[in-house]
Amino acid sequence: MGFFDHLMRDVRSVIDRDGGGQNEIPPLDGALSPNDRLDACLPIGEPLPGVDDVVADRDGAVYASAGRRVFKLSGQGFATRALVAEFGGDAGGLALHPDGRLLVCVAGRGLAALDPANPAPRWCEAAGGRAFAGLTSVVAAPDGRIFAVEGSVGRSPDQWRSDLMEKRRNGRLVGISPSFDAAEVLLDGLAYPYGVAIAADGNSLWFTESWAHRVSALPLDRNGAAVPEVKVGNMAGYPARLHGDGHGGFLLAMFARRTHLIEFVLKEDDFREEMIATMNPDYWIAPALAGGADCLEPMQIGSVKALGIQKPWAPPRSYGLVVHLDGEGEATDSLHSRAGGRFHGVTAACATPQGVVIAAKGTGRLLLDPGGLR
Amino acid sequence: MSMTMDSFTASVRRFSPRLLLSELLLKQWFEPVIPFTVMIGLWLYFALTIPDYASTQNMLSLLRLFAEFGFVALAMSFCLITGGIDLSVGAIFALCNFAALFFLLVLEWPVGVVIVATLAVGAALGSINGFLVGHLKTRPFLTTLVTLIILRASVNLLNTSYAQVFATNSVDSDAWDFLGVGSVLGIPINAATLFVVLLVCHIFLSRSRYGWHLTAIGASRKAARHAGIRVRLMLFFTYVLSGTLCAASGIFYAARQSSTDSTTGVGWEFQALTAVVLGGVSLAGGKGTVWRAMIGAIIIFLLINGLVRMGIPGYVTSAVTGMILLAAVGIDVKWAKNRGKAIQKIYVNPAFVALAPAPSVQRGSGSPFAQNDRLIHAQAIGVDQVEGPEDVILDRHDRLYGSTRDGNIIRFSGENFTTREIFAHIGGRPLGMQFDRDENLIVAVAGMGVYGVAPDGRVFKVTDETNRTWYKLNDDSRLRMADDLDIAPDGKIYFSDCTTRYEMTTNTLDILEARPNGRLVCYDPATKTTRTVINHFYFPNGVCASHDGRSLLIASTSLCKVFRYWLEGPKKGRTEVLIDELPGNPDNINRASDGTYWLALVGIRTPTFDLASRKPGFRLRMVKQVPADEWLAPALNHGCVLKFNEAGEALESWWDPTGISHSTLTSMREHKGYLYLGGLENNRIGRIKLDGVDDTWTGYDAYWGAKSRVTR
Repeated sequence: MGFFDHLMRDVRSVIDRDGGGQNEIPPLDGALSPNDRLDACLPIGEPLPGVDDVVADRDGAVYASAGRRVFKLSGQGFATRALVAEFGGDAGGLALHPDGRLLVCVAGRGLAALDPANPAPRWCEAAGGRAFAGLTSVVAAPDGRIFAVEGSVGRSPDQWRSDLMEKRRNGRLVGISPSFDAAEVLLDGLAYPYGVAIAADGNSLWFTESWAHRVSALPLDRNGAAVPEVKVGNMAGYPARLHGDGHGGFLLAMFARRTHLIEFVLKEDDFREEMIATMNPDYWIAPALAGGADCLEPMQIGSVKALGIQKPWAPPRSYGLVVHLDGEGEATDSLHSRAGGRFHGVTAACATPQGVVIAAKGTGRLLLDPGGLR
Repeated sequence: MSMTMDSFTASVRRFSPRLLLSELLLKQWFEPVIPFTVMIGLWLYFALTIPDYASTQNMLSLLRLFAEFGFVALAMSFCLITGGIDLSVGAIFALCNFAALFFLLVLEWPVGVVIVATLAVGAALGSINGFLVGHLKTRPFLTTLVTLIILRASVNLLNTSYAQVFATNSVDSDAWDFLGVGSVLGIPINAATLFVVLLVCHIFLSRSRYGWHLTAIGASRKAARHAGIRVRLMLFFTYVLSGTLCAASGIFYAARQSSTDSTTGVGWEFQALTAVVLGGVSLAGGKGTVWRAMIGAIIIFLLINGLVRMGIPGYVTSAVTGMILLAAVGIDVKWAKNRGKAIQKIYVNPAFVALAPAPSVQRGSGSPFAQNDRLIHAQAIGVDQVEGPEDVILDRHDRLYGSTRDGNIIRFSGENFTTREIFAHIGGRPLGMQFDRDENLIVAVAGMGVYGVAPDGRVFKVTDETNRTWYKLNDDSRLRMADDLDIAPDGKIYFSDCTTRYEMTTNTLDILEARPNGRLVCYDPATKTTRTVINHFYFPNGVCASHDGRSLLIASTSLCKVFRYWLEGPKKGRTEVLIDELPGNPDNINRASDGTYWLALVGIRTPTFDLASRKPGFRLRMVKQVPADEWLAPALNHGCVLKFNEAGEALESWWDPTGISHSTLTSMREHKGYLYLGGLENNRIGRIKLDGVDDTWTGYDAYWGAKSRVTR
């Protein structure tokens, strides 16, 4: 990128203020004001390395995917842990179908439907002629229809960092019939759709796009061909999964915060390309689910420990954030684990009678928030 | 060949027009460069378009015409510098012209008396302005406007009465003729006088106490009064001076023209104002020199004169000068307001640095740099009782000293170092420390220089400046950021001044800039002189005299290398690379008991920071676009101490890889079998037991006592 390109971009940013709206990272204020409530959550049981998604069933138990396995946790404090299934690839998004089946997104394979009565899963492996390499989330509507999102077509979910730094918009939303007979692509060209949920009234499908920092809603008319409407735009972090809270709202997990440095590197093509080509992705200037443990990771000046303490307001390498959205998409409450905190890289949160259960993938922990996020 | 090519590309990469510009803009003398260029350009233009313009004859006659206007412009500039204005300069000039002729032709006074009397008239007229502005505190603009109108009317009145007399009377005086048409050394007398007056005024304004008072009043009248400057009196005399200068102008004019009419000096106040502002004397006051005023005056004079010669009508000329005044005033206001910002925008100029490959720090890799946990459980001393002990040192009585960010030297003593006391308060940011032979603690203090603390706690200055580099625009004689020091066997104190472009608070910018802005300086106590030993060093940090005292080891934080500088022997005066590849940014270096050295790594090189160091444009845009807190840095939240030998081979490392106890580890000091650890931003001093080392070895003994390895 030569001098002229940079100049032109600066000129454009002055002239075209609206187009640059995505550039400005909004401050965390209002309902998103930082706090330490996520750090105060109770870890559930032993660590679950790679814990990714968590959904609640009707009886108050939760299903959690971690690595290649899916567990069912039940009882007081979710103390009872049972292995439900193990797959050949990483298990990601989970959903419970109204007919009782458990739907699991499996990296490199597709969507598995586990029938409690039948041990062998049934698979849905492609849509629109492209195999499902990296389904990120799945949800079932009350009428039985299944919707799944694939972050980036042809890419497994563990390559999400490359997808962001290559500035791809290659995700899609897929509609799947309850019997797995038919799968059609409803939307494509999405900026890494990560989470998907059905609104409480059953009339619209909400989904997150991580690289576009937004949550959109798609009307679920029978006629199809609908256009999604942006419900929350330009968020301060990268939204991950979205689950209904059972009261008309949503629990949105943000797996990382946007930082000025990352936004800057996204504009610096020359630097970014060389970084991608020559470095281990763990050391990129890119969002991270967990950080601080390796001295080869990039570091920012404000993160220097002062008098032995990492300041919570330091620019975060990783962050923990769960946001509660109301039925209109307005944030009403949030749980934070700031720089130097314990539970980072949250990818999912679901509501249960015992409280909100949170999957902190960066830390490899399931957490219980008894405090009542609302 | 390749060497020369390399150094050539290196210097091309190092050269930065932006850097030159930013440093030029910081200079006071650079400000009139644009008016000066305009002046030269204008002269060249007329020289090319008007025949015979550049001839000596023409030049001399132009000078003669110019001189009188020059005096008036000078008068105006003095008033502007005090924050006022004198619109009556033209009228005073006209009245003095009349007065001179009146004294000479009507009263028939001798020439000498005429001169003195006319100057007195000018001074008296100026004193009216001075009294009103200075003592009655009237607004200079309105006051001098009123005097302009009154004096102008008086001149016209007097002219009508005496024009006849002047036209008929004449006086035969060689002295008077000399004033009108004479020359000194080939230069017209009035121009020569103007030049002498300018010199005197320049010295008065820039070198004398009263000149400074004038400028101070112009910059802030209130502050000047608070500082005890006699504002009223100074203002009074400024207007008197202004009147006197106009009178001098009037005398020369009278001698040259021997006539007066209603147009004499009309509009001169306006031309003088345009000239002076154009030259860079600020309308807001407090800024300007006599030379700037003259540059402006010459521009306006050349322009008006040239336009007249080209046959352009007078009203067009007036309009042009009006436009110029408008532009000059606009630029004056904008420039005064935004100069600082403009400099700030272009001051940081990152350069390309090709760092050597970073050796692996992989845990268990078998490399001497492999990460381990040997510092995590270091015994903590004075937790939360010290704020950032950048350096630590122990004296002969096993007392522990730390240099902290609050400007103190904190001392711990007693069993387990539980007694804390403030040994000395120096101020600034004390960094590297060393004991000299007399057990004075010599301390490098960022922002101040090198200071000493006697054993009784008395603080004394060692040095705070060095010789200035003659070719550098930035005045580098002051020590900006003395960082670490060591003392050679002959008592000379060698210290690093890590940057001459930034301060302690902004030194991260120096690392990001990665230019050789630092230097190694030597203070010789025998002659009490300070000299720069190595200029242009990339962020020199730790300094350590080698065990044999024949060389110095110098750590370069931004290049991630350690250098050796030879103090004596066949390589005396030469600098060579001792350790080329380091996994981090080296900080302090100190002697170890077994004849090797300790080295602290304040930061660990990260792949991204290394990549950024090869991309100066990236760093430049980052500094501009990203908030300072979010700039990329080397990994500073990790503690690492290395040991290396005389050959520069790393032997072992001690780590706190995630900075649990020791982040930003900047120094370590071995003492009686223990290693003491200090950190720039840490809240403690650490210590670990060393195995298999000389348990009686102390730093003091290694420098000045029985453990010294200096060979003579």
